Amino acid sequence: MDYIKHKVPPVREDRLMACQAYGGTCGDLSRDSKKGCLYASKRTFSQTQGCQLNLSLGMISSMRDAVMVIHSPIGCGGNLIQNAGINKVFQKLRQESAVGLRWINTNLSEVDVISGGEAKLRQAVLKAEREFRPSAILVFNSCVPALIGDDIDGILDDLQKQVSAKIVPIHCEGFKTKIQATAYDSVYHGLIRNLVGEDNDSQPAVVRTPEEEAEHQAVISKTVNLLNVGSMSRIDEEELVRLLKALDLNVRILPSYSHPDDFVYAHEAALNVSICATHDDYFVEHFQQMYGIPYVMRTIPIGIANTNKWLRDIASFFGIEEQAEKLIAAETAELKQAIEPFKAELKGKTAFLTGGEVRILTTAELLHNLGFEILGLRGYHFDKYGEILLDEYLEDVPNSEKAIFNIGSGQVFEQANLLSKITPDLFVGHIGVNGSAAKQGYPIFPLFGQSDDYLGYKGVFEVAARVSRILKNPAFNKNLGSHTRLPYRDSWYEQDPFTYIDDSASVAARIG
Amino acid sequence: MSKVIERPRYVCALGGAIGTIQSLPRAIPILHSSSGCGGNLAGALSGASGYNGGNYCGGQALPSSNVSERDIVFGGEGRLQEQIENTLKVMDGDLYFVVTGCMVEMIGDNVHAVTKRFKGGDLPVLAAETVSFKGNSYYGYELVLETLFRDFVEKTTEKDAKTVNLWGVVPMQDVFWKGNLGVLKNLLKKLGIETNTFFGQGETLDNLKNAAKASLNIVVSDAYGIEAAKVFEEVHGVPYLTVQLPVGDHGTSRFLRTVGKTLGVDDIKIEKLIQEERKAYYPYLERLADVYNDLDFQRYATVVGDPNYTQALTRFLADDLGWLPELVVITDILAEEQKERVLATFGEYESGLRPEIVFDEDASSVGGYINRHWPQNQGQKYYKGFAPGVILGSVMERDTAEQFKVPLLSVTYPISNRVVLNRAYAGYTGGLTLAEDVLSLVVAHR
Repeated sequence: MDYIKHKVPPVREDRLMACQAYGGTCGDLSRDSKKGCLYASKRTFSQTQGCQLNLSLGMISSMRDAVMVIHSPIGCGGNLIQNAGINKVFQKLRQESAVGLRWINTNLSEVDVISGGEAKLRQAVLKAEREFRPSAILVFNSCVPALIGDDIDGILDDLQKQVSAKIVPIHCEGFKTKIQATAYDSVYHGLIRNLVGEDNDSQPAVVRTPEEEAEHQAVISKTVNLLNVGSMSRIDEEELVRLLKALDLNVRILPSYSHPDDFVYAHEAALNVSICATHDDYFVEHFQQMYGIPYVMRTIPIGIANTNKWLRDIASFFGIEEQAEKLIAAETAELKQAIEPFKAELKGKTAFLTGGEVRILTTAELLHNLGFEILGLRGYHFDKYGEILLDEYLEDVPNSEKAIFNIGSGQVFEQANLLSKITPDLFVGHIGVNGSAAKQGYPIFPLFGQSDDYLGYKGVFEVAARVSRILKNPAFNKNLGSHTRLPYRDSWYEQDPFTYIDDSASVAARIG
Repeated sequence: MSKVIERPRYVCALGGAIGTIQSLPRAIPILHSSSGCGGNLAGALSGASGYNGGNYCGGQALPSSNVSERDIVFGGEGRLQEQIENTLKVMDGDLYFVVTGCMVEMIGDNVHAVTKRFKGGDLPVLAAETVSFKGNSYYGYELVLETLFRDFVEKTTEKDAKTVNLWGVVPMQDVFWKGNLGVLKNLLKKLGIETNTFFGQGETLDNLKNAAKASLNIVVSDAYGIEAAKVFEEVHGVPYLTVQLPVGDHGTSRFLRTVGKTLGVDDIKIEKLIQEERKAYYPYLERLADVYNDLDFQRYATVVGDPNYTQALTRFLADDLGWLPELVVITDILAEEQKERVLATFGEYESGLRPEIVFDEDASSVGGYINRHWPQNQGQKYYKGFAPGVILGSVMERDTAEQFKVPLLSVTYPISNRVVLNRAYAGYTGGLTLAEDVLSLVVAHR
C-alpha cells in the first residue's frame, strides 16, 4: 500500500471492493464474497446514513488540544452540536486539563460557492490559531469545496508558515463514497502525512549517547501502538493495557482521545496492534511500508476466543508464547467460573446483531458462548477482512450457515422487516438503529458505549452481567412496542426484506 | 462575505427543513442529497434538542436518494424519481416532502420537474430547494412553511373570525416547542379563539390543510416565519401579526393584549383573563417570598441564545423575578433590518432595566462580553464582577459558566445536558416552571 504520497486516499469501493448492499445467509455471503462480485449492488429505495465527514469527526474530534475547522456550508459537522458542552468528561479521563470540543465552520454561502471558499478557509484557520493557540488544527473538507475546486492543500501549506499549530488536512467529502469507513483512511492519511515524525525544521533532532541510544532502542523493542477506536471506552482501554502490560509491553494509545504530540514518535514502536481491520488497515499497512513496523490486525478482543487469538498473535510476534499461554490460562479459568451463573440463565435465548462487520461477528461469538443462538447479523459493509472473520465464525459457531446476513449502513426499513420475521429475544445494535428496534418492543443491548466495557476478559463478564440485567425487565421497550408505530406501511412487512436491493450488476458479473 | 462561525448553534437549511417536516404529524421527508446528509444532521436534530428523538420519521429512517459520485456526474433526477416511487410504497405517511442538499443543487437537478410527475396521485408530494449554502436552519423552516402554504393549504373564501394560525416557534431549535405551542393554544382558547399550530400535540395535517379559513396569522417571533407569513397573505389573503414569545406574567399579559386587540376581543374580556391567570400565578410565586429574601436570591444574569428566547427570558428575569439580566448575547445570523426589529423587543421594562445587547455568533465570545460588562479584576482590593451571577443560555455556555463559577440553566438550543419531553416555558405556567428551574439551580448550590 502506498497512497501516502497522494493528496487524497482512494475510496473503499475501489481499494477494497467493499460491498454495501446484500441480503442472504452467512453461508451465502461467505460463498458470494469469494466470487468477488458483491461490490456493485445498490438500493432502489434507501434511507439516509452517515458520511465520511461524520465518521471522521467521530474518530478524531476527541483529539485533545486541537481545533477542528470544518470547511463547508453551515450544516456539515452538525452532529458535533450534540456533544458540545458534554463531551469534555471523556477527554478528562485521559487528561485532567482537557478542554471540550472546539470547532469553526467556514459557513460557505452562495457567494462563496461562486467565487470560491479559499478566503474563508484562511480566515477560519487563522481564527483557530489566534483564539485558541492549539497544538493542531484539523481541517475537514466537505462536498461543496471539493466540487467548487478549492485548493485546500495549497492554502494550508501556505498557512502552515504562519501558524504554530500543526495543520492536518482531512479530505472527507461525503458524496465520494457510500462506505463511511473510508473516513478512517482519510483521517489516518492526514495524520500520517502531517503529525508523524520529528519536525527538524522547527526543533533540533534529539541527540543521544550510544548507551542512551541502546536503552532507547530497548524500550522501542517492547513498545506497541494500541490503536483504539472512537467507540471504545476508557475502561476498555484500561483492560487492554492491563493485558499487554501483563506481557511486559509498553503501550502507546492512538488515535482517538490522543494528543497531537502522541503521533510524533508513533513510528518508534515494535508493533502496531489493531483491534479492528475496518478501522486500521490503512494505517498499519502504511506504517509497515514506511517504517517497517509489523502489525497484528486479525480480530477484536471481544469474547474469550477472540481475546485469546488476539493475545496469541501479539505474543507470537515477541516470541513470548509461553508467557501468554500462562496469562490466558489463568484469566480464562477465573472468567469461566465467574460467568457460569449467567450461562445457565441465558441458555437457549436468541439474538440479532447489527453494526460494523468486525464487531458484530466477534460479539456474536461471545453471546454464542453465553448460550445464545444467533439468528442474524447486519453489517455496515463487507470486505475481505469480514470474509476472513466470517469464515472463522462459521467454524467456531456450529450451525451458523443458515443465520441471516444483511449488509447496509442505516437502512432500518430492512431491519424492521427482518425483525418482524425472526423475532429474537435480544437485539444488539450500533447507535442510530436501536431506537427503531426499541419501538418494535425488543430488549436492546448497545453494541458499544463510552461508559461501559466490552473488551478483553473483563468485558466478557460485564457483557454477560449487563445482558442479564437488560433481559430482566424489558418493560420500557415493551411499552413502546405496544404504543408506537414505525413509519412503514403494513404491506412492507409482508414483502421480502431485501426487495429493494438491486444486485443485477453482481449477478451479471457472476455469470459473465 | 458571511462570517466563519465558531461553534454554530444551528445547521443548514436542509437540517431546518428536515426538523420542521418531521415535526408535522405523519409527514415523511425525502432527502435528495448525498448519502451522509441525514446522518450528519441527526445528532443536531435529536441529541442537541433535549434528546428530542426523531419523532415519527426521523434519524436513520429518513428516506434519501443517497446520491454519490456517479449520480453527481450523470445527474440524479432518475434516482430521485425511483426513490419517490418506492418511498410511497414503503413509507406510511399522509404527506411526502422532498428536500435537497448542496450537491444536487450544484449539478442542477430539477426536483420540481420530478415531483410534478407525482401530482394528482393518491398522496401529496411537495418539494422545496433547501440548499444549505443559502441559509441556516431557520431559513429551512421558512422555506418549508412557504411551500406548505402555497402548495398544501387549500384555498377557500370561507373565513372564520374565531380561528387563527400560529407559528414562529421553530421545532427543535426551540427545544420546548411542543409544550410552548400547547400553552399558547390553551391561552387563546380562553379568549374564545381556536388556534392551528400545525406542530402541536393532537393536531393533524387537517389543521394545516384548512388553515386558510383563519382570520389572522400570529407569528410568535421577530425573526422567523415572517417571510412565510407574507406568502400566506399573498396566496390566501390572511393578514399577520408578529408578537414576542411570552414567558411569565409581564410577557404573557402583553401577548394577550396585543393578540386580543388585533382580533377585536373585548378589552374587558382580555383584562379579566389576565386577572384570572395572575390569580393562579402569584400564589405560586408567593411561596418564594421567604427563600428569595432570606437568602438574597437576586442575581445578575447573562442571557445567551436566539432572538425569540433571549427577549422572553430577559423580560421574565427583569420584570417577573426582579433580577438584573444586564447582558444579552444574540447568537443568530440576522440581517440588519431583523436586528433592528429584534432590538426593539428589549424595551419598555416595568423594572426600568436597560440590558446591553450584543450580536455575536461565536460561542466562545460570551466570556469576553461578560468580562467587558462586569470589568475584570485587575488586582484591585475592592472589586465588583459578575457575582452573584447566573447564565441562561445553552449547553455551549458550560465552560463559560465554569470559568465564572456561576450556575447555568440551558434553555436555548443546543441542550444536551437535559432531557426535554413536554416541559414548556411559555405563558404564565411556563414562567412558574422557569422560576422552579432557575431557582433550583441556586438552591442546589447551597
